Amino acid sequence: MLQIKIENLLQVFLPIVLLPACLFAQSIVNTVHNLSVSGPGSVKAVSESEICIFCHTPHNSNPRPPLWNRNDPGFNYILYNSSTAQGLPGQPTGASVLCLSCHDGTIALGNVLSRSSPISFSGGVTTMPPGKSNLGTDLSDDHPISFVYNSALAAADGQLADPATLSGPVKLENGELQCIACHDPHRNIFNDFLVVSHRYSNLCLICHQRTHWNLSTHQSSSASWNGNGNDPWFHTPFNTVAENGCENCHNPHKADGHFRLMNYLPEENNCLDCHNGNVAGSDIQLQLSKSFIHNVYNYLGMHDPEEANVVQTLHVECEDCHNPHAVRNAPASAPNANGFVQGVKGVDTNGNPVSTIQYTYELCYRCHADSPTLPASPTSRQIEQNNTRLEFDLNNPSFHPIEGPGVNPNVPSLISPLTESSVVYCSDCHASDGSGSPAGPHGSIYPQILKFRYETADNTPESYQNYRLCYECHDRTVIINSTGNFGQRVHRKHIVDQDTPCNACHDPHGISSLQGNSTNNTHLINFDISIVFADPVTGRLEFEDTGSYRGRCYLRCHGVNHSPEFYQ
Amino acid sequence: MKRFSFLFAVLISALVLPAALIGQNISGSSHDFSGTGWNTTGEICIVCHTPHNADITVSEAPLWNHEVTVSTFTPYSSATLDATVGQPSASSKLCLSCHDGTVALDNFGGQTGGTIFITGDALMGTGLDNDHPISFTYDATLATNDQGLHDPTTTNSGLGGTIHEDMLFAGQMECASCHDVHNSTGLPKLLIKSNATSALCLTCHDK
Repeated sequence: MLQIKIENLLQVFLPIVLLPACLFAQSIVNTVHNLSVSGPGSVKAVSESEICIFCHTPHNSNPRPPLWNRNDPGFNYILYNSSTAQGLPGQPTGASVLCLSCHDGTIALGNVLSRSSPISFSGGVTTMPPGKSNLGTDLSDDHPISFVYNSALAAADGQLADPATLSGPVKLENGELQCIACHDPHRNIFNDFLVVSHRYSNLCLICHQRTHWNLSTHQSSSASWNGNGNDPWFHTPFNTVAENGCENCHNPHKADGHFRLMNYLPEENNCLDCHNGNVAGSDIQLQLSKSFIHNVYNYLGMHDPEEANVVQTLHVECEDCHNPHAVRNAPASAPNANGFVQGVKGVDTNGNPVSTIQYTYELCYRCHADSPTLPASPTSRQIEQNNTRLEFDLNNPSFHPIEGPGVNPNVPSLISPLTESSVVYCSDCHASDGSGSPAGPHGSIYPQILKFRYETADNTPESYQNYRLCYECHDRTVIINSTGNFGQRVHRKHIVDQDTPCNACHDPHGISSLQGNSTNNTHLINFDISIVFADPVTGRLEFEDTGSYRGRCYLRCHGVNHSPEFYQ
Repeated sequence: MKRFSFLFAVLISALVLPAALIGQNISGSSHDFSGTGWNTTGEICIVCHTPHNADITVSEAPLWNHEVTVSTFTPYSSATLDATVGQPSASSKLCLSCHDGTVALDNFGGQTGGTIFITGDALMGTGLDNDHPISFTYDATLATNDQGLHDPTTTNSGLGGTIHEDMLFAGQMECASCHDVHNSTGLPKLLIKSNATSALCLTCHDK
């Protein structure tokens, strides 16, 4: 008998002695959901000792399961919405109603069905105090709830797990996703009562299966914050890009940017929070402080992931060129898209939309080709063409080799390793200036976001610096000093002796075959008509290609008539 | 034999429990109907029990003397409920023979046509879907499946033995798992143990 009693006592006391460290951490008792007088949080009852009572009652519950002891707020909530959401929620249902009966801030925490008067809270607290736990009645800034999450939704979305495969901690309630899919109100093993840790976005990724994500730098980078400026990870306890995962940019509750639950409403802020020199190696914010930029600050709410490939209303956001779910450091050679522009949409050489670009120029063509809000050229030319897709077409009489190798088999000025069969990127010319600047056309001190100085004004003294953009690829010595037509007779005469800019005769993009021809528009010849005029004698304004290193011009420039001028 | 077992259990309880729970019994409790107008016998036990000629339609019914409910009940259900909950059985059905509100309180001792019915919070009705589920098997398997319940066969009830030993009846959760109809504890709602700090709930619920 004595033995039995000792056993019983051991059964009672051993767990109390040994287990608290692990068990209590897994019990509601030691969480802020213990609203009783014994609760650990600041929001708690004055004297009520029962814990379950704030939510549950064994009898006369309403709503019925799970034996609920609170009133349905019955509120018409503002619901989550987004152009990319397939499963749009209705008004909250199921367990979510019960969560909201405290967390929408409309019903006193102590207002339970099983008590005739509300349970008193210390500090005079009635409804949930303001703060991150009080979601309010506007749920449009919170992850959607109370929607049917089925295989059809997963298929329609294309980037969601088939819920039939969910066997882990995330559970649906009657086929619907509710608050309790992510939160277990009774256990706070992880932060915020999550059912599994959100470190490395493990929780998010159970459902969200983003294309490209597993290869993304945002998934794997161990970069950390240097402590300057804003904390980029203000709503997580994690300290590296990889650990924060989705939450580098997204905030599942009370998101500033409601659509797609972005950390910040201004799109660029979600990127520049890290790409400002404080986390990422490249300081893009610095580039965007320059005079000539892709001005992502200028637009708010105009970018939409669902927008047409051909941009219909002029705008630019970081996400127009970069897919943050796919971006990675993976070099490529022109014209192939490198890792920084992985997984973005574009427009191909024929003007057709492509869902994922293969060639980088296809990305540029979204705005700089067939867009109705196409940016204009800074130079008035004899042949006007702002559609770069037409300018770089491989059937043109001449073009810079963006889509493929150029047509001219003799380009003596090319600096090795460039050859006549080389292909270059748009961003070989259009990129941030300054050595060591991050690649890509983010911002430059030079107009047109050019990587180097490229003077276009008439009467510019020739120098390496003034035309450095050209001279980076085209050897200055060959251009101005080589003997014969190419060097001294043509180029030196004009750009050194006459201070005429390269841009006066050459159209650096190319001349569309729809407008130009292989007699008048080889060698990127398309005159700047603010500098070059028609020859008053012949009435003509044209260059005529008469063979290798040979040609003649009909024009008037710097007061000199070419009627024609022969170069041979 | 069954009756003997029951009596033995009653006697053991009568001998053992009072030592710990001094002075508490049905007399004067909310189940003491000796002073009510509808119980003209003046007796306490008679509303539910009789020493002879008891109703044995309900299995294990302890010398039953009250008309038994024939209601069909709506059991509790929930998306997160792992137990299989059927119609109330065993002693729970006897409780509901007053608490479902379909049988008159004064229909005992073979009397029918009574007119006094239960009211207020104690009236469960036949819709049990807003009440804690009863009459389901609560075993180690259920605890494993649910992940929010303690194993009744190894978890102490706080009453001297395991949950299985002290609170279940033939391995089932019943009304009597939480309530002692005879008020041995003297606690509000005739609870078998205090629910301060939700101790009664957390005996089974691993939350």
